[in-house]
Parts: sequence; structure tokens; C-alpha cells
Amino acid sequence: MNANKLKENSVFIISLILTLIFIAWGVFFTDLLTKVTNAIYTTSIDYLGWVYIGATLFFVIFSIYLLFSKYGHIRLGKTTDRPDFNTASWLAMLFGAGMGIGIVYWSVAEPVTHYTKPPYGEAYTTDAANVAMQYTFFHWGLHPWAIYTVIGLALALCQYNKKLPAAISSVFYPLLKDKIYGPIGKTIDILSVFATVFGIATSLGLGALQVTAGMHSIFGVPNTLIVQLIVIVVATVIFLISINTGLEKGIQYLSNAAMIISVAILLLILMVGPTLTIIKIFFNTTGLYINDFIHMSLRMRPFGQGEWIASWTLFYWAWWIAWAPFVGMFIARISRGRTVKEFIIGVLIVPTLGTCLWMSIFGGSALDLVINSENHELAKYIADNVSLAIFTFFDYLPLSSILSLMGFALVAIYYVTVADTSTFVLGMLSEGGTLNPSNKIKMTWGIIQSAVAAVLLLSGGLTVLQTASIAAAFPFAIIMIFMCYSLLKGLNSELEVQARKKKVKEY
Amino acid sequence: MKLFQVRKGQFVYYKNELHRVYSVKAMYRQSVHLMRLRDLTQHLSSAAEVEKYHPKELDSFIFNKNVYTLSKDRKAEEGDFILITNPNPDYLDHYSLNEIEVVATVENKGVITNKSNGIRHHEYLLMVPGRHEHSNPIEYRDIQNIDESNLKEQSDVNNDMLPTIGDVYRKNDQDDLMEAMVVGIKNNMIFLGGGLELPDEDLMNTEKWEFLYNLLDK
Repeated sequence: MNANKLKENSVFIISLILTLIFIAWGVFFTDLLTKVTNAIYTTSIDYLGWVYIGATLFFVIFSIYLLFSKYGHIRLGKTTDRPDFNTASWLAMLFGAGMGIGIVYWSVAEPVTHYTKPPYGEAYTTDAANVAMQYTFFHWGLHPWAIYTVIGLALALCQYNKKLPAAISSVFYPLLKDKIYGPIGKTIDILSVFATVFGIATSLGLGALQVTAGMHSIFGVPNTLIVQLIVIVVATVIFLISINTGLEKGIQYLSNAAMIISVAILLLILMVGPTLTIIKIFFNTTGLYINDFIHMSLRMRPFGQGEWIASWTLFYWAWWIAWAPFVGMFIARISRGRTVKEFIIGVLIVPTLGTCLWMSIFGGSALDLVINSENHELAKYIADNVSLAIFTFFDYLPLSSILSLMGFALVAIYYVTVADTSTFVLGMLSEGGTLNPSNKIKMTWGIIQSAVAAVLLLSGGLTVLQTASIAAAFPFAIIMIFMCYSLLKGLNSELEVQARKKKVKEY
Repeated sequence: MKLFQVRKGQFVYYKNELHRVYSVKAMYRQSVHLMRLRDLTQHLSSAAEVEKYHPKELDSFIFNKNVYTLSKDRKAEEGDFILITNPNPDYLDHYSLNEIEVVATVENKGVITNKSNGIRHHEYLLMVPGRHEHSNPIEYRDIQNIDESNLKEQSDVNNDMLPTIGDVYRKNDQDDLMEAMVVGIKNNMIFLGGGLELPDEDLMNTEKWEFLYNLLDK
């Protein structure tokens, strides 16, 4: 009986041990961890870079292929199923799931940093500004959403059409058949849990940095590591209480509030900011993005230093991949009854337009501010203090105190909701895809993910966060490549099933 | 004036019959939107006209023309209806108070419904078909004052469930998928389009035939 139980919980136990080892390592040998992550960082540029670059571009091509393929009319679910949510709220939910803390954190910081340190060309020029916007579109555009499309589609197909549990290993059923319940399936699940923990820890780490920065700029709290750690502890206590007292409903209200505040901030900046410039930036950058798409997607620096690519492009690709199981589960859950074509338009195309618009409004007005004031110091200050970036930017706009408060509320809400919801997904993934993960396991993951975020901040802040996700997501990136093949096989068999049913109907 | 806040999901009595609030639209004069449980029809009302009821174990009521008794006696099984009386939805769940769902799979800690909601065992009451002998019928608030036409309707409940002309049924058979409409009824014999002829109990056996919709309802 006991051995059976152990076997059932093997995914949870092994992934827990792996993360605990990592945490212990970080707490007791902090210097060693910093050294090793630095070593991984350099190695990742030389050895892993091309895998991330190639795989991510492949996901984009694969998703676009599926959009126009013969599989387009396949319905996720029974042929008689219809969508649970109307299209507008479906798109809003999708966008909210993929965005989160990251888009608030980077929307001002990224374009301005690129402007001061462009991937090529001279800094502080008009060209640098255009390149900065173009690369921001690139990092937040089709590529991340293509990763979500692949994993979301695969999960939806295996849950609704093949009636398999909501685990990552289920996606491989067309390839592995019943072996998904054996050691191979468990290994896949363990690697996906491991990647997810780091993806979430990265977001929580960024969130803690920014919540602290917000408190610093609004209430004058010191912007130090200790405060960041206190933020993590407080948030952990809040969502542990919410898991235990059934306050989770409150968290759902909070996440709706976050959506409303996001839209309000967006419109406010569009109005008080340089509206016409923002529109021009949106059009111009879209053109540049489409024109240079292939070059950017495959850009590496064989004859030079690849540091820029590693700290931006590779970090993002790894982060999105580490996030993918979390976002994919959510996207799959709300997409039952949609056809493959609808799904890809809704998950790949529309959110890409949305993020590009968001980036034009935030990044565009920040760049406009920096360029028009010809204040290189300001640009440098923003680039050096990325977690303060958005609050520094707000200081230069009308209604700055309202904007700062809204921005702070937004980040704080995103932080708590991500921390809370991710415990559910981690519980699900580590308990074989059950939709009723136990509270004990949810709480364990809640503490673990906060601890990982704290350890990463302790051993070096932002750079370590970036490096750790590049390393942890790597096995999962490989898994995702096989996932495409499995998805194709699954779609093929579904095509036969649905065609047969149609034939019967015609008689 | 009634100081009573109507919320989505609550069971309420409206015109003496049991309804579920499916939506509250504060902007409208008729702000409380109801679904009559007996036959799933929609009704609009206002907060002053409804009275709250809190369903509990051993209550019995008519849902979509079938009688059910709320029970905790046995474990849920696949295909059972459940009434979610104590909702605590997780991140990926979408359900609210007093929602009625169908069990798809049963797990240790809870059930998964065919709307992909994970619901723990303490969150719901099972809806067991039929009226339990000690049950407390709740479909009418005041059983004394029901006018006769209503009583008659109630006795017609069984008749309501019989096939009528225009009903479309689907055969539950993997190898032989077909849909057919009732085109004629003679005593107990039902005539389906395509020349099929079968007794009514066969057609009403949900394992063999699934009722889809009635042509006249559309």
C-alpha cells in the first residue's frame, strides 16, 4: 500500500527533492551558486543558444502552418461542443494570462535599455530608438504566443478529444501510448514541474523587485534586498491563508481588478502621453518587425560577443518556455469548443497585436520622453534601475501620483494572483493531472516557489533570475519539440475520427 | 421593504415555485433573472418578489422534468447530477453557487464534471433520482395554496417526459450513429422518421437513445 502511494506521488516527491537540493545549495553555498550560474550563463550563450533560437522560430512556423492546414476545422472537444465563453471575454482572459508581471516590469525598461545599449549600431540615436522598439516587439510578439499556442493546443486536444488527465505527459499519448503512465511519462512530468517552478520563481523575483521599487518611490521605503525578501514572505503568508480559508474567491476578484486597472492605465497613458507619436511608433515598428522578422529570429553573433542576445532574447525564450505549462493549462481550460483555426487566431495573432499595442503605448511614450528631453542621464538612470523604470517614467507624466499608485496596485495584485494560481497548477502537474490537487501539496509548492525566488534574489538578483530560467527551461524546450510531433500525430488521428463521424451523419 | 440581497446562484421562490437566480442585472428594473428548475424556463423578476431558500440534504425537487432528492448517502458515480451547494472554485474552475453539473469522473478527493470543473466531495450534494420517502419536497413554498391547474401540471410531469412529435433523438451506438425525429405516436408505439417503429420505453431509455431537442422549441 505504502509503496503504491509512493509510486503515485513519485512526480511530486522527486521534483520536490530536486528543488529542495537547489534551495539548500543556494542558501548554504550562495557564492558557489552565483559562480555556477555565471558559468551556465556563458555556456548557454555558446552551446544552448542556437537550440532556443531554432526551437522558438520553429514553434512560430509550426503554429502558422497549423493555422492554414487541413486540421483547421478540428474542434477541441466533441463536434457538438460550443465555446464556454464568448469571444471577447475569451480574448481578454488569454491576454491576461500571458501578460502578468512581465509586461508591467519590462514595458518601459526594455525599450529605454535598448536605446542606451542597442543590439547593433550607435546608442542614443534615432536609429537606436527604432531598433529598440523593434526588438521589444520581437521579444513580446509572435514567439512567446507561438510557444503558448503549441502547448495550449496539445493540452486541449489531449484533455477534450482524447479524454486524458491534465498532465504534460498526456500530450505524448499519440507517441508513447500507455508508456505515459510509466517512467518516461513521470520524467516528462518532473521536468515540466521543475521548469515551471523556475519560470514562476523568475516572475515572483521580478515581482518582488518591482513591488519594493514601487514602495520605495511612493512611500519612501528603502529599496534593499531585505525589503524584497520581506515582500516575498508577506505575499507567501497571504496566499497560504487564502488557500486554507477559502478566500481564493477573493483572489479571483483581484485578478479581475488587475485587468480593469491595466486597461485604465493603458488608456490614461494614451491620453496624457504623446498620442500621435504612439500611433506612428505602432505602425512604423510593426513594419520593421515584419520586415526583419527572419533576421531577428535567427540572429546570433558568431564572430563577436553574444552577451546582448543571452541577456535578452535567450532569457525571454527560456522564460516563456518555463512559463508555458502554467499558461498552457489555463489557455486549454478556457478554449474547449473552439476549432483549431479559431484557437490559433485567438492565441497567436490577437494577443500579439495586443502586446505590441501595449509596448507602443508604454515604451513609445517613455522613448519619446527620453529623446525629446535629450536627457541621456535619465535614459541611463532608467536602464540602470529597471525595477524602478515604470515609476520613474510616471514621474514625468501628468497625474503622476495617480499613475504610480495604479501601477503599484497592479504589480502587487499580479504578484499575489500569480503566486496563488501557480500553486494550483503545480499541484495539478505534480499529482498526475488531477483537477483536485490537495491543499497540502498546494501549500508545499507555495512555500517552495517563494523560497526559490528568495534564493535567486539572494544570490545576485536579476541576472541570476535570468540565468536560472535559461538553464532550468532547457530540458523542457527539448520536450516541446517532441510535443509538436506528438500534436501533429494527435491531430491526424482526430481528423480521421471527426471525418468518420461526419460521414455517418451524411447518410 | 425587504432588506435581502439577491445573488447569482441562490435558490428562490417566485410565484410560489422554486427558481435559481442565474443573473442579477442591477441596471434593469426587473433585475433578478431566474430559471425555473422544473422546466428550465426563464423568468424576470425583482428582488421584492422573490424569497430565498437554502437547499439542504433530503430536500427533493423537480429539475428539468425529473424528480431528484439531495443526498449524501452514497458516493457520486459517473453520470450523476450534483448540486454545488458549497462552491470553492480553484484557479481553473468556472462554477458558482447551486450550479447543477454532471459527474464525468470520480477521484479520491473529489469529482470532475463534464464541464472540466474539479469539485471536492464536501462542495456538493448528490442529486439522487426519485423522491426519497423521508424527503422534504421544496418545489413549492406553500403547498396548501397551489391552485389546481398547477397541481394538475405536476401530475402531468410524467406525461411531459413522454416523446412528442418533433422530438429529435440520437441513437447511443458507436457503430450505428443516427439521429431521427418523432413523426407519429400511436398508443405506446413511436414512429420515427426513416421508417423506425419502437415502443416508448425503448426511446426513453437514456442508454439507448439520447433526447437532443424538439423541433418546435427552436
